[in-house]
Order: sequence, then structure tokens, then C-alpha cells
Amino acid sequence: MAEFYTTYGFLITSMVLAAAMALSLYLPLMAGQLSLASPGFYAIGGYIAAVLSTQVFHPGPGPYPLYLVLIEMLVAALVSAALAVLVGVPALRLRGIYLALATIAFVEILRILSLNLPILGGAVGIFGIPQPFNTQGEYIWLGLPLLLIAMVFIYRLERTRMGRAFYAIREDETAADAMGINPTATKVIAFTMGAVLAGVVGVIAAHFLNTWNARQGTFDSSINYLAYVLIGGSWTVFGPVVGGLLLTALPEILRGLASFRFILFGILIAVGAIFFPQGIITPELLSRFRRGRQPGRPASGGQQASQTHGPAK
Amino acid sequence: MTLINVWQNILNGLAVGSVYAIFAVGYTLIFSILRIINFAHGAVFTVSAYFTYLLTGSAINTNGTLHKLFTDGFGAPALPIKLPFVIALLVGGLLAGLVGMLLDRIAFRPLRQRGADPLLTLVSSLGVAVAMVNLIQYFFGAEIYSYPANPFGNIPAAVNFGTADTPVPVRTIQVIIFFVAIVIVIFLTWLINSTKLGKALRAVSEDAVTASLLGINTDRIIMFTFFLSAFLGGISGTLVGVSVGVAGPYFGITYGLKGLAVIVLGGLGDIPGAIIGGIVLGLAEAFVPPQFVAFKEAVAFLILFLVLVIRPQGILGRAAVVKV
Repeated sequence: MAEFYTTYGFLITSMVLAAAMALSLYLPLMAGQLSLASPGFYAIGGYIAAVLSTQVFHPGPGPYPLYLVLIEMLVAALVSAALAVLVGVPALRLRGIYLALATIAFVEILRILSLNLPILGGAVGIFGIPQPFNTQGEYIWLGLPLLLIAMVFIYRLERTRMGRAFYAIREDETAADAMGINPTATKVIAFTMGAVLAGVVGVIAAHFLNTWNARQGTFDSSINYLAYVLIGGSWTVFGPVVGGLLLTALPEILRGLASFRFILFGILIAVGAIFFPQGIITPELLSRFRRGRQPGRPASGGQQASQTHGPAK
Repeated sequence: MTLINVWQNILNGLAVGSVYAIFAVGYTLIFSILRIINFAHGAVFTVSAYFTYLLTGSAINTNGTLHKLFTDGFGAPALPIKLPFVIALLVGGLLAGLVGMLLDRIAFRPLRQRGADPLLTLVSSLGVAVAMVNLIQYFFGAEIYSYPANPFGNIPAAVNFGTADTPVPVRTIQVIIFFVAIVIVIFLTWLINSTKLGKALRAVSEDAVTASLLGINTDRIIMFTFFLSAFLGGISGTLVGVSVGVAGPYFGITYGLKGLAVIVLGGLGDIPGAIIGGIVLGLAEAFVPPQFVAFKEAVAFLILFLVLVIRPQGILGRAAVVKV
């Protein structure tokens, strides 16, 4: 087992971080907002970690203290939240594909700015980001708790007034507005939550990868995250996580095919979209799983769950 | 900025803008019919630049699988044909059009028939784009390819329209770009306004269900739209390839993203708007002062963001009526 983890620790940690990024895209999608801004906030979080740990904090010899990583996460969360509100208030008046395009523009503007700001190291980026751990696999101790906290948070959120408001807007914004939900505020909150999560993941990723540059968090990755969410399933918290884990492992599983593997990866993503239009994890699947464990439960519970959103209550 | 500089900037801006316009018309055609964005349009652009490169009889680098295939088959790492550039441009565009039809069959039609969420086509079209880009890398390698020095035959690469002291060079490729752009605009105007096919195209774009009830084969019209869109994307890919070189399998991505700015500026689905949007972006980029040249690439995305926030219907569009 330990030997297995030595070999695959990097991959497993990457999978966990990808799943967390998928959740950051899922959060605004819960409120019906297709935002592709996550890579932008991920890049910002990474740059914050890179600059703070190489130029501001000087903890002395020995491994980089974890409490400083937590401080970086806090800074990244605050900056991401502030920027998300700033960008979100004008952008979230847009619907559907228009919002997606606005967020693509946001990510590209950030990328070009980061290429040209001297403090961020230009095209080369920032090297030698200090390491709190001895091996890359140990970053699972940061990544996994973050993923679990995010999952529990979203799972609970789905059952609060705020989460219900998200789903109401996803279903019909005008009707939600008529029911007394403030659509703009609610959408900005969903967008900001996703941004904060992406920023914090960026902090971990910057230490994990040891180097950070403008190639982190680009347009390609936004579509990857979208693939994680849509192929994994965009109606429950488990869908994006499963999508992120599976699709990150896929190129590695296909490694034996050498130069064919990304060709096949692309085809599999297209095929996945065609054959799993609802995603792999659907609310129906979850309720069937639950009924299997609790035979006393009436069958109508599952029926009901398939019409409302999220797992059966 | 001197007057000469202004002329030079306008000339360069118009040339780049014409290419943006041709590319973006293809992009916006798909949107006008299907109300979705084809994220593989940038990959079609790339693939066609390589097709034309092959058709002009140019050689493949050793890193591409085609190098060995061609050397074994024809005794040289190139196709045994050497088409004149303008013919190769056209054939490359037609081949790209076939790729576009294939794209519809693989990534769009299955989802359409299943009535799936239109968002999924973003993912499926991007999946196919990833496969295409990696196929290019497999066959051609990742290097930069430059077209042969004199692809147009025995005519000078540029002619000076200024004086010896204040040169205003007009490159031959710029003249070709203007010519191709004008021919395409005339052809499209004729096709869409004066043919039965164009009428069917407009009907499907207005309302696909009603059009099919009236006996229009919508699937064939959509397929033709993909052909036309990819043909235009392909022509623009070759024109960029021949004027600045083919910068590897990924060089269409930038155009794919900037094209979004162009079609939003013109109003999504609006063909004349896309042409104007392309010219505007080309000119805007040409007039970025030299000290800010590093931020030139950001101009398109700044335009994209601002237009979406201020005027999402585009410069020519009317505000959409929100139906409840």
C-alpha cells in the first residue's frame, strides 16, 4: 500500500484537487450560472501563495510551516471573494452562454496581466515555492480535508434556505424573483463561494507543483472542469467529485497508449457527453442506492427525488 | 504617430481584421442555426492550415509520423503534388469543410437527436477539438511550420507604395487577404439572399421546427452550415498560416478565443455584425501603442467583457425581448 502510494501519490493528490476544482464550478451552477471563471481564481490563489511564500514570509530553515499555508489560504480566499463580487455584480446579469463568454474573457485578461507583471515572474513564472512536506503525495493531507469540507458544506447547503434559493433560480429565475428571492444577490453569493474554493485550491496547487506561471488556470482547464461537472453529473454534489477523480485519472490509465492517449482522451470526453447526458451520478442513481440500503422505504421516495433536485430528503 | 504610421496601421489592421472576419462568420453561422458555440472552430482553423501546407508540396519535419509515411511512400517527406497557392487554399478550405461535416456527425448530431442540454455540446465539441489537435501533433509534430518563401510564384513579397524615406509596404499576402475577403462577402451575400439554399438556411435559423414542418430537411441544412462554417474557418487558418507561419498544433486556440470577442461584438448569430466586428478588432489591435504591445492580446478580451456587460446584443443587434 505504501509502495503504491509512493508511485501514485502525485496522481491521487492531483485527482483530489481536480475534484475540488470541479466543485468550484458546480457551486455557481447550482444557481444555474454557467461560470468558467474558476481557473482565474485558481491562478490568483496560486500566485498569492507563490509570492507570499517566496518573497514575504521568511520562516527560516526546515520545512515550510503549515500555519503559513493556512494564512495564504485565508488571503487567497479574501482576495478571491472581493474580486468575485467586483466581477460578479456586472457579469451575473448575463444569462447562459453570455455569462460563460464573459468569464472566459475574465480568465484571459488575468492570464495576460499575469504574464506582464514583473512581480509574477513573466512567462517563466515563480520557481522554488517552499515545501511543507517531503513528498508530493503528502499534499493529500491538505487536499483531502479541503475536498471533504467542501463536499459536506455543499451537501448541507443544499438543505438550507440559501441552497433552495440556488435551485429555485436554476429552475426559473423569474419565478424565484416573484417568490421573494433576490436573484442578483443569490447568484453573486454562489459565484463568490465557487471563487473562494478555487482560490484556496490554487494555494495548495502552487506548493504542490513547486512552480507557478501563466499556464496554470487557462481556457483549456475551464473546459476540463466543465467536463468533470457535466460528465460526472451536475445535479448532486457527488457528480462533479466523481467526474473530477475519474477524468483526471483517465490520461494516466491510458498512458500505455503513448501518443494516442490524448487523442483517445478527447474522444472519450465527447463520447461521455453523448452517452451520459445526465452525467454518471444522477439523483435517481443516488436514491436507488439509498433504497437498496433501506428496504423499508417506500418506492415513491425515489420517484419524488427524480423530480426535485438533489438526493432524496 | 505620423500620418505614414496611421496608414500603415490601418492597412495592417484591415488585413488582420479581414481574417478575423472570415473566421468569425464561420463561428457565428453555427450560432445562428443552432444557438450554440462550436468550440472546435479553432481546431478546424488549425487543421486547414496544415492541409494547405501539405497541398503546396511542403516538407514534414522528422518528428511527425507523416515524415516516415511520406518518405516510404513517395521518396520524400512531402506529398508528390505541388498545387499553386490559391488552388491549395481552396482545396484546403474544402477539406476543412468535410472535417466540419464530420464534426457535426460526431459531436453535435448525436446530442441534438437525444435532445440533450445544449451545454453538453460545449464539452463534446471540445473533446473532438482535443482529439484533433493531438492528431495533428501525432502526424505533423509540435514544431512551427513556415510556408515556402515564395508561395505565390514569381511576384515580390511586398510592394512599396510610399517613398524610399517613408516606406508604406503592402505585402502581397495582404492583397490576397483583401481579395479573398471581398470574394467571400459577395459569395455569402448571394448565397444567403438569392438562393433557395440560403432561404432554407434563414428559415432554419428563424425556427428549426417550423422549417422542418414546411418540408425543409433541417439535418441537411445544419450539415451544410457546418461545411460552410468550417470552409470559412479553414480559409482564414491558411491565410494566417501563410502570413505569419503555423505556430504548432495549438495555434488555433487564440483565434478561437478572440473569435468569441468578434462574434459577440457583432451580435451572436449576426453575419454582417461578425464582419464589422472582425474589422473593428483588427484595427483596435493595430492601434495599440508600441509601449503597450504586451497587452495587445488583451484587447479582444477587454472588448468581449465590456460588450457583454454594456451591450450584450452586439453593435448591430436589437435588445432581446425577455419572454416570461
